[in-house]
Amino acid sequence: MKLPFSFQIKVAATLLIIASSVWAEQDENIKRLTKPQSTINFGAGYLFNDNARFGQFNGLRDDGFYGIFNLDIVRRNDDTGTWFKLQGRNLGFKNRDIRLEHSRQGNWGYFFEFSQTPRYEPFTANTAVGGIGSSELQVPTTPTAGGPEHLKTERESFAFGINKFLPANLELQLHFKNEDKDGARIFGRGNRLGPPGPTAVGGYEFLPEPINYTTRIFGATLNYNGKDLQLSGGYYGTLFENKNKALTTTGGSSVGGIFAPGLFTPIALPPDNQAHQAFLSGGYSFNPHTRGTFKASYTIASQTDGFFPTQLAAPGAPSNLHGKVDTTLVQAALTSRPLSKLNLLANFRYEDREDKTPVFLYNPNAFNVDLNGNRWTGFNTPRSFRTFTNKFEASYALPMNLRLIGGIDYEHWDRTGTPQTTGHRNSTDELSGRVELRRSLAETLTGTISYIHSDRWGSHFLTQTTATGQPFFNLIAPINLADRNRDKVRLLLNWEPFEPLSVQAAVDHSWDDYNGDRNNSGFGMQKGIARNYSLDAVYTFSENLQANAWFSRNETQIDQASRTPAPRVPWSVKLENLSTSFGVGINGKPHEKLDIGTNITYSEITDKFKQSIVEVDCCPGNTPVPDIKFKQGRWNLFARYALQKNLGLRLDYILDYFRTNEWTWSGWTYTDGTRLIQDQNQWVNFLGISAYINWQ
Amino acid sequence: MSNDLKKLNSMMLRLLMLVLLLCIMPNAMAQEEDDSEEDSPDIVLRGDGKCTKCHDETSDYPVFAIGKTKHGTVADSRTPTCTSCHGESDQHINNEETMPPMPSRTFGKNSTTPILERNQACLDCHQGGKRMNWIGSAHANRDIACTSCHQIHTDRDRVRDKMTQSETCFACHKEQRAQINRPSRHPIREGKVVCSDCHNPHGSAGPSMTVRDSVNETCFTCHMEKRGPFIYNHPPAQENCAICHNPHGTTAPNLLKVRSPFLCQECHEPNTHQSSLGTITGAYARNTLARGCMNCHTNIHGSNNPENVRNEGLFQR
Repeated sequence: MKLPFSFQIKVAATLLIIASSVWAEQDENIKRLTKPQSTINFGAGYLFNDNARFGQFNGLRDDGFYGIFNLDIVRRNDDTGTWFKLQGRNLGFKNRDIRLEHSRQGNWGYFFEFSQTPRYEPFTANTAVGGIGSSELQVPTTPTAGGPEHLKTERESFAFGINKFLPANLELQLHFKNEDKDGARIFGRGNRLGPPGPTAVGGYEFLPEPINYTTRIFGATLNYNGKDLQLSGGYYGTLFENKNKALTTTGGSSVGGIFAPGLFTPIALPPDNQAHQAFLSGGYSFNPHTRGTFKASYTIASQTDGFFPTQLAAPGAPSNLHGKVDTTLVQAALTSRPLSKLNLLANFRYEDREDKTPVFLYNPNAFNVDLNGNRWTGFNTPRSFRTFTNKFEASYALPMNLRLIGGIDYEHWDRTGTPQTTGHRNSTDELSGRVELRRSLAETLTGTISYIHSDRWGSHFLTQTTATGQPFFNLIAPINLADRNRDKVRLLLNWEPFEPLSVQAAVDHSWDDYNGDRNNSGFGMQKGIARNYSLDAVYTFSENLQANAWFSRNETQIDQASRTPAPRVPWSVKLENLSTSFGVGINGKPHEKLDIGTNITYSEITDKFKQSIVEVDCCPGNTPVPDIKFKQGRWNLFARYALQKNLGLRLDYILDYFRTNEWTWSGWTYTDGTRLIQDQNQWVNFLGISAYINWQ
Repeated sequence: MSNDLKKLNSMMLRLLMLVLLLCIMPNAMAQEEDDSEEDSPDIVLRGDGKCTKCHDETSDYPVFAIGKTKHGTVADSRTPTCTSCHGESDQHINNEETMPPMPSRTFGKNSTTPILERNQACLDCHQGGKRMNWIGSAHANRDIACTSCHQIHTDRDRVRDKMTQSETCFACHKEQRAQINRPSRHPIREGKVVCSDCHNPHGSAGPSMTVRDSVNETCFTCHMEKRGPFIYNHPPAQENCAICHNPHGTTAPNLLKVRSPFLCQECHEPNTHQSSLGTITGAYARNTLARGCMNCHTNIHGSNNPENVRNEGLFQR
């Protein structure tokens, strides 16, 4: 049978159309799956409640509408490997980030970045202090009621960087970041208004610290990336500049004669300082089983900011500190696998921070007898440190995918300085030993159990004396210098009882036994205990639905002792921090057009202050420090619905809860009348609706 | 003549259709029907045809998304092939069974490939720069695979996204997961400070894998006003910020580990007011309420005040 020619044409055309459409559809699918995608997300959100905590770092504090605007534009030229990325996050909020990046992969690249980070003080200050934010404050001379002030600081940073690959496996990187931080934060001044005594009255004034800082970080790095040898060398510089040298005040309380708070002006503010570092680090693979790494750096830091004008400078004192601190770092490590089952690691680190600041007499008045009848020196106090840190570790593979690991760590500190109001010893040593049994690469049960013991000791404590050579107590060994024994046990288990479920349990306990006293005083740090328990579970219902849950219990306890002011009654305190937290989350795609996710986190934290005594004859009117409780929770919900292939809607809902009985500020009124308050029960609802568009 | 012309036209049209079909059909049908290795075209990476002929989006292990990543940018001659990371995998590829043996190197959670070998696949290219100290680092020594944290076959590697990075770290660091929700904290939840701002998880010359050479130098990258040196320096502030602060979050203000006066009493001698009981009323409430000891000793990190008035070494101004 001969088919008509027209029919043959139709068949061929149909085949051609089918083939072309299959080809085109596959091409489109492959492009969708293999090429970078861009997204823009825009809309609006409504914050239903004023708050201080939820919006502390994102600016969502006052109820009302907020813009939602995020973008992620990614283009790639497949022929040249050139990327263009423009990413913006939270552009409608005050914690916005934006970054532009343009690079030819493996050849050159550059980026620009802008970031804004607010920090709102969660307490509202009702104050009559004037000039807040400036370095010249007007302070009421008597208690005065004032209006609300919401202190905040804000960081704005701008950064850029360039990189260029060079011949011979070299790469040059340059980076620069400028960050301005402006605003004001809680600060103040105070003093007792007369000789010390159990009922000595004090004067305290609220002086918000003006923040007007500029921080710059910049550097250049030349990397060499060979097969066996890698090197990285360059320069790293940092500069800090404070526009305000000192905080001066007018007004303020004149009660107390020469001790009156109003006389405490000017108050020094952080000085400009800078540091310049040259560094070289590297790694070399001697063979497939042995590798060495090192870093060497030398840093010159200085602080030569001119002192603010003063009528009360000591004779012979310089015009600035001429501060200079040079730091040398040498670090080297060697890892080796001499046997197939044996791994060895040795690490050595040496750091020498030498404070070369010249010593001058800044304050001859310090030699005068103070309120407690002591005399002190008025010299500046440069301090130098030198540390040696050594680590050795061996691990050996055992049957059943087990590995036994043993290690020794040793740390030695040398410190210069002389003791005055606190204890001082010139050197401390800490030796730690640890053993660990680990199981990995098993299908159902993996984990680790480890035990660490460390001892810290040191040279004898130098006798603290006043400027006249009189011994000054010598009863407490500071927490960072005291002898200490530490034991720590850790257990981590990963268990997959059946395919969709995985469970992880972690327990760690540590016990610190301090010898925080001196001369058998029984004071200072005694004990520290930390216990952490957590349980995590993940359940995968299907490829499109997963759930997770976690629980953590964290407890810390510190036992320490001191004695009251005269009549010097010994007392101790057990400080506890108890925290229970949990989270539950579920993410899924119940329908091909719908993605949903939700999670809840909740924490209850309690601080307890268990003092052995509350009242002593010396100090009437005490009230035991109440427990502080915090409760906070958050419920996040999002849903994304695709209206079309590249267009959809997104809904976000957040419920945030914060509750506390914190008393830090509630019982306190500054001498100038300032009070700080916070809403102790904060509920926040935020609802956002936005659209998103994807394209390639 | 017209019949001849018609025949010629008809023949030409048929030939044209045949050529078109021959040209188009193989391209369109190749991915569906042609199982021969030689004819499998590359989809994303160089030489990936032998892999993508099975590992398409309908596979249990789809791989196309790597094309969206830097690894999938084939214009960069350094980028890998499938076998650069997964090994030649001959037995896996040349096996007709429905459940062929695994590739030579795998990276999933049930992988039996030794972790050293898995990580070496990454280190073959990524050993330099910020990863120079990986071998010998705490993470490497605890059998952490690169893929424990990183997702390779996606353009959204969660650990490299500031909003989601901490979730990856908290998979092991449970204590910190609880601490970042405490009232005094860094803006970690908001993605403005992330773990890698302070720690280099690939190892560093600093303690606790800090990004700079010491704890203090790391803190100074954002808090440079504390660096000094000052005329009067508070020794622990120079030695280690972590003596007084816990950067992961605390209940005491300003990330202090313990509230005043208890914190200060861990070092300071019981002279007079320093050793008072904690109380929220009475004369010594000044040591506990508000800024506690810092109500008077306001410049607690150090003072650069050159004034010759009383004992300025007490950081009172």
